[in-house]
Amino acid sequence: MDDRQSKIRNFCIIAHIDHGKSTLADRLIEMTGTVSKREMSEQLLDSMDIERERGITIKLTPTRMFYNYNGDEYILNLIDTPGHVDFSYEVSRSLAACEGAILIVDASQGVEAQTIANTYLALDNNLEILPVLNKIDLPSANIEKCKKEIEDIIGLDAQNCPCVSAKDGINIDDVLKQIIEKIPCPKGDENKSLKALIFDSYYDNFKGAICFVRLFDGTVKIGDKIKMMKTEKSYEVTEVGVFCPAMRQTEVLKSGDVGYICASIKNLADTKVGDTITSALNPTSEPLPGYKEVQPVVFSGIFPVDGAKYGDLKDALEKLKLNDASLVFMPETSTALGFGFRCGFLGLLHMEIITERLEREFDLDIITTAPSVSYHVYKTNGEMLEVSNPSMLPPISEIEKIEEPMIKLNVYTPPQYVGAIMNLCQDKRGVFEDMQYLEKTRVVMKYQMPLAEMIYDFFDSLKSRTKGYASLDYEIFGFKQSELVKLDIMLNGETCDALSLITHKDKAYARGRQIAEKLKKVIPRQLFEVPIQACIGGKIIARETVSAMRKDVLAKCYGGDISRKRKLLEKQKAGKKRMRQFGSVELPSEAFISILKTDDDE
Amino acid sequence: MNDRMIYVHIPFCDSKCYYCNFCSFVSNDIVKKKYFEKLIKEIEHNSNKTVKISSIYIGGGTPSCVDEKFIGEILQQIKKSFILKSNAEITIELNPCSTNIKKLKYYKEIGINRVSFGIQSLNNKSLKLIGRKHNSKQAKMAIKIAKKCGFDNISVDVLIGIPKQSFLKLKTTIKKLIKLNVKHLSCYMLINEPNTKLTKMINQKKISVPSEDKCVIFYNKLFKYLKSKKIFRYEISNFCKKGYECIHNIGYWTLKEYYGFGVGAHSFISNQRYSNTENIFDYINCDYNCEKENLSDREKIEEFIMLGLRTKYGINILDLKKMGFDITKEKKDDISFLINNKFITQKDDVIKICENKYGVANQIILKLLP
Repeated sequence: MDDRQSKIRNFCIIAHIDHGKSTLADRLIEMTGTVSKREMSEQLLDSMDIERERGITIKLTPTRMFYNYNGDEYILNLIDTPGHVDFSYEVSRSLAACEGAILIVDASQGVEAQTIANTYLALDNNLEILPVLNKIDLPSANIEKCKKEIEDIIGLDAQNCPCVSAKDGINIDDVLKQIIEKIPCPKGDENKSLKALIFDSYYDNFKGAICFVRLFDGTVKIGDKIKMMKTEKSYEVTEVGVFCPAMRQTEVLKSGDVGYICASIKNLADTKVGDTITSALNPTSEPLPGYKEVQPVVFSGIFPVDGAKYGDLKDALEKLKLNDASLVFMPETSTALGFGFRCGFLGLLHMEIITERLEREFDLDIITTAPSVSYHVYKTNGEMLEVSNPSMLPPISEIEKIEEPMIKLNVYTPPQYVGAIMNLCQDKRGVFEDMQYLEKTRVVMKYQMPLAEMIYDFFDSLKSRTKGYASLDYEIFGFKQSELVKLDIMLNGETCDALSLITHKDKAYARGRQIAEKLKKVIPRQLFEVPIQACIGGKIIARETVSAMRKDVLAKCYGGDISRKRKLLEKQKAGKKRMRQFGSVELPSEAFISILKTDDDE
Repeated sequence: MNDRMIYVHIPFCDSKCYYCNFCSFVSNDIVKKKYFEKLIKEIEHNSNKTVKISSIYIGGGTPSCVDEKFIGEILQQIKKSFILKSNAEITIELNPCSTNIKKLKYYKEIGINRVSFGIQSLNNKSLKLIGRKHNSKQAKMAIKIAKKCGFDNISVDVLIGIPKQSFLKLKTTIKKLIKLNVKHLSCYMLINEPNTKLTKMINQKKISVPSEDKCVIFYNKLFKYLKSKKIFRYEISNFCKKGYECIHNIGYWTLKEYYGFGVGAHSFISNQRYSNTENIFDYINCDYNCEKENLSDREKIEEFIMLGLRTKYGINILDLKKMGFDITKEKKDDISFLINNKFITQKDDVIKICENKYGVANQIILKLLP
């Protein structure tokens, strides 16, 4: 083994939410002097506002650190990982880029659901796991109990694990030492042909798409001809470099290194996460394992609140797409919402993040319709349509059958929640396939389930019924015929297409009732009575009424303070601008979102 | 030069009512003395002998709770600083508790010709619950004294939506007031402003008030009842016998220019809206003007529509056109929707809110703003 690679450690940090992942990352960066104290901002690696606020990591940010150990200088590459099931593919790719993982456990809380789920992910990728107890500064910290939990539940030796306080910077050195002692170094061959894993990519306005890579074999430098093994496209490298954590150009990247490659790549979609980069002249025969095509599974309409902002929305989506190749969108028209886009997402969180970024980074007010999946609709004339927008469903008389996407679902859980999960999956039209004890404390339950049920509120329900201990993964395996109907919502006698949804026949009544009740709560009283009706194929199955508004008047004496009167009115007017005019009914944008969340209140 | 009006704010009260979030203070005599010195200075500072004053409104707070001599000095100063028209309407707000024959006689002598009593209700239980210090008997007595002292133009404030109110009780109050031959009624709906004692009590569920819907029902019934007694509505909150419309109020609604003197007072002069500081000590010790706002054309149109629609006179389409807003063209759909659903009427060139739809006036106004 060459000496150079023996001085490199590639690792990631995994943890349950709030156990201090980002804080520890910050301390490591600070301790190694990678970034001066002055430049440190809280949670350095979560650079997007949304990431910082929600305390989640969406985009991956690698960092290269230097650490002196026994007189030798080591390079430590930290690869941050996103933490949600929507991005589990990205997580698996960034784990695949490492040799080891630091597993943080909050010493005051012990092993939690996410701790276990993440450990399994890391073990699946053959990573060396280094447990670290954090928050030992808290009075409630119980180090011995935590160590025992790690040993009993996870089965890792925790006796010598570092006990730190990332917040107060206590014992951070121990972590660095153990990274070097315990995590294996890369074992690639720089003389072989290039083999680099893309674990993330992003778009830069000047440099084009930038690939974040881990080199397994070979080297890469400016001028090299490279090839993406999946897309088979070739490029000439214009820049290579490392993360400090800002990108810094270097001459060459060699096997074992983590860095970035720019090659005037115009389209982010050509730098697919999980793909292998090799040399165009001397390609490797085998790509790195594990590549998967990521496809959108959840679809939803996005419309500007102010119809005139359609162009702005289009620009914003195009810009986001540059940065997020998994986002797909196409124009859509709705009678209720005007012009907008049907967008495809990796999952519900992905959808939330995109909508939030549209609102924050682009300052747009948008309306999102209920998420839907893509159905295969077979017409009586033999034609097959792919329908992801409920309002595009043909009339019942023309439909031969409808097929919906099905998933194979694995739920991992401690055994005591098996009953609760079975109930939940049954509610969600899941078909039980198998259950296995992975070990005494962990069961995997396998189900077949319609994807549509999964995207609705399955994840939240699962978490709440298992106190957060269950985790899941799923993959789409095909389509299956199902008794599906279109549920329409009529407001003041007119069908509001943006509120339509496709649902299973047996659930239509309950959902129709729920939605009508929910809409009654969110639609403000208007100058006239507004009936809300839920119907299936013209048959009304639920009705609620928003009674007419009686009072909206300033009948108070404000003397000569007419400005105040006018300002109150202007405030009201601004509020109205956020409303959507549907026929003569004014709808707040919450009305469209609220139907997503009908189960919340119960 | 057009006529202007004057509003004078007397921020003092003997006690703070539970629902009040106005600019008012319970203060000692030294503060009062200093305040009036500054007030006189402010009036003097604005002196303009070319300006004719068509109305003066002395409001509060409770102007009647201060030594009546102060009021005299203010009128004196106004007469010195401006040309007070001989037929000017001069109103003072009074509290039943703090009025007596001596004060009222004095007010009459110095030229005040309209009095407005803060009666709110003649139901003793309700009065107590909102922190008013007078009772029904004192209120009636005060009105009688005012009449004895020669005041004919008597106005009363009545609140809709106070604790324990039912329409019957409200009607009883109104009936008694009509019997006392008051000429003008201002009927306000109680607004539970944040941070008032009453709002806190409501939030803590110690007390309950009629619902908003009920208040509007009361209001609409009240309108009909008053009409049957030949007391007509001329603005959302204002009702009077023929010929007793408040000139000062109408001035506000027709965008007339006015000076506002005193703490927290507002002025409207040559398209500028001024507001004085709401901090009495700042007012006394520092400069009183704190904010100035130029009224844009659009804001002027907004105010014209907002204020006009609140009155029985409505808004004239041609006037709006002159201001640069062609409402019949710009708001065609909204107007026809509102007419078809009987929210407004359009006769000749005037748009008015239908009699029974004042309860949702804001919604209607919002639809018609540019």
